[in-house]
Amino acid sequence: MPLTMPEEILLLMLDDETGRLQERAAPSGDFAIAGAVLAELALAGRIDTDPARLYVVNPAPTGDALQDRALAQIAAATETQDSRHWIETLAADADDYREALFARLVSKGILKRVEGRFLWVFPERRYPVISDKEEREVKARIMGVLFNDEIPDPRDSMLIGLCRAGGLFSLLLSSAELDRVQPRIDAVADLEELNRSLADAIREIYAQIARYAPMV
Amino acid sequence: MDITESSVSGVKVAALKGRLDTATAPAAEGAILGMLEGGSKVVADLAEVHYVSSAGLRVLLKAAKQAKAGGGSFAVASPQAPVREVLEISGFDKILSIHATRDAAVAGLA
Repeated sequence: MPLTMPEEILLLMLDDETGRLQERAAPSGDFAIAGAVLAELALAGRIDTDPARLYVVNPAPTGDALQDRALAQIAAATETQDSRHWIETLAADADDYREALFARLVSKGILKRVEGRFLWVFPERRYPVISDKEEREVKARIMGVLFNDEIPDPRDSMLIGLCRAGGLFSLLLSSAELDRVQPRIDAVADLEELNRSLADAIREIYAQIARYAPMV
Repeated sequence: MDITESSVSGVKVAALKGRLDTATAPAAEGAILGMLEGGSKVVADLAEVHYVSSAGLRVLLKAAKQAKAGGGSFAVASPQAPVREVLEISGFDKILSIHATRDAAVAGLA
């Protein structure tokens, strides 16, 4: 069964050998997971967006517990909000989403769960990769879109926007390659409104960090 | 959504009327992709479309993709100002051939 975008993006955010999340993916990784859940709902025809609004068009459950949780939350809202509001709202529950996604990837035989101690004291749970086939396929799909001039599928545009949001391209490409394909990444990602809202939300986080970080 | 099909100078024209969103996207997609079969030249006339959502934009993208893959061609004609703005914000104007009038779009493909 193909992976969902939240599963794919979490897999890409994971350091395969250590089983820990890439530091580079924080803090925008929470937003990328929230965006991935919304992206699946959009492609499943449950929600639709425009630059001013994100709205439910079909509240019927998708059968995916995580997507249905988000869909119910959006459907229950008393006021219509924009995509960025929902990205930020769902990102507040990113820990829950991540735990559920890790459990799925373990049950699919892609990751294994390892309980250990960090600095001999703090309990730590890691998820080393045991099957890298799925991750290699996702990476190949992304590179295929970036290194040709074809018109992308909506799912690929969404995924590329999520990788951009999670800061993952600097892990997937050399800096020279990244310089070369950055315009293509932006062109493909910006086709989707959710990706543009995600990028806006993340720019704001980094602006806040820069504002409050101690000057060194 | 009403979709009226016609033909001008060997170019098929799909005149759409209403909202292009999740509810109407399947019908619009079916009609436009059907018209593109066999490598045809197709113009989607948006003069009577007052709203295009993200799902609606994906229909236009799929049409452009199918046209390219199938040896046909696809253009968009006469978007209203709010629709044109959405096309520009999303960068669709760099991928799609967009014309101010139906005649210009047909002339561009004929």
